[in-house]
Amino acid sequence: MNSQRNARGCPNLRDYGLRSRKLVACAAVVLGFGVTGPASAEDAKTIAATVCVACHSTDGNSVIPMFPKIAGLQEEYIVKQLRDFMSGRRKSDVMAPVVAQLKPEDVAPLAAYFSAQARTPSAPEDKKAVSLGKLIFYDGNEESGLPACVGCHQPLGVGHTIYPRIGGQHAQYVVQQLKNFAAGDRANDANRFMRVTAKRLSEEEMHAVAQYLVGLDAK
Amino acid sequence: MNKFLTTILVAALWPLAAVAQTSTAPAWNEIKGEQLIALQTKGDAARGEAAFEPCQGCHRKDASGRTSGAYPRLSGQHVQVIIKQVTDIRAGRRYNPKMEPYIGDHALTPYDIADIAVYLQALPIASDNGKGPGTGVAAGKKIYENDCTDCHGNKGEGDGPKFYPMVAAQHYRYLLRELKFIRDGDRRNANPDMVKRIKAYTDDDLDAIADYMAQLPPAKK
Repeated sequence: MNSQRNARGCPNLRDYGLRSRKLVACAAVVLGFGVTGPASAEDAKTIAATVCVACHSTDGNSVIPMFPKIAGLQEEYIVKQLRDFMSGRRKSDVMAPVVAQLKPEDVAPLAAYFSAQARTPSAPEDKKAVSLGKLIFYDGNEESGLPACVGCHQPLGVGHTIYPRIGGQHAQYVVQQLKNFAAGDRANDANRFMRVTAKRLSEEEMHAVAQYLVGLDAK
Repeated sequence: MNKFLTTILVAALWPLAAVAQTSTAPAWNEIKGEQLIALQTKGDAARGEAAFEPCQGCHRKDASGRTSGAYPRLSGQHVQVIIKQVTDIRAGRRYNPKMEPYIGDHALTPYDIADIAVYLQALPIASDNGKGPGTGVAAGKKIYENDCTDCHGNKGEGDGPKFYPMVAAQHYRYLLRELKFIRDGDRRNANPDMVKRIKAYTDDDLDAIADYMAQLPPAKK
């Protein structure tokens, strides 16, 4: 298991001096190529505000329920998802053309940037479903052998290492991902855990757990 | 020349073939393959704690399982027992379709299993496990002392090196379910001696034994 891996060891951008950045920028201007040095934290914020903003908002708290909130996701999780989108391991007609605009060296600073943003929860639309959702989250379903979500995703869904923060996530997105895992359309989960687990959730349970998650506030 | 080689080969392999023909099915506790690798590995509890994370969804963070008996308590269980059961389940020797997809060799190496086992054995055992109705304790004690202590010990402590699990302070409903599985041949990896010994037991007998074992205090190590 790679759960101890830390993505913070990625290219240290401060190590690249101003001078070389200027040189690279000059070269880019002179040659007219889109060549730049490795992205910095500043660049990440710029990319967030120009490329990611339309769906995820600049701070990663998407206001469009079909697009995920990526604020506060585990850094190594974001790195993995971006790389999986780039390689096609995670398929998405929406994300494929977007990641095509990114350079491999943009991944780490973007992950660091969005990971550092605070996740903002939303209000559940179906309040009656929340109590069942909470039960599923903390106990799973012994009949179907559904493990409790809390085992990996932690209390309040804050996530841990390779297991993403799911607390405060849009319900529509959560249900869609669970369906994708269950159908095998999304298959980039660690050790097939989510593909196995999502198959054990009924539609009612998917809806309920998503309604519980959307309002979770870990702050 | 070829004929000569063949003759030598046949002569050399003959004893092996003879052994293969006379040996019967492997013993329930015959240890080989990844089971042997895991048993010979010096497990690391800190790595085991990390590897156990996905198991917590069912067995709980403290490995106390569920008082409903749906999932057993694992805390304090013998290293050898955990290694044998996990590897038996993923090899299909023990029937457990709920757990099997989570512990395949795509998810865990034999070394991970050894790490997890060491971590679990060292965990404190909670005594608030799921208890039985209590009405069968007296009858269960009698049966247990007649038929079970040889392997599982006077206090239900079990015997790690012999793969006999600790049964004290295990959840009543889990004990009852597994007793029935073992008696009826549904567990598949049970010691045949145990199957023989509990074959004639009624459901009430098994209920009483489970009732008795569940209320035994956690064995001291």
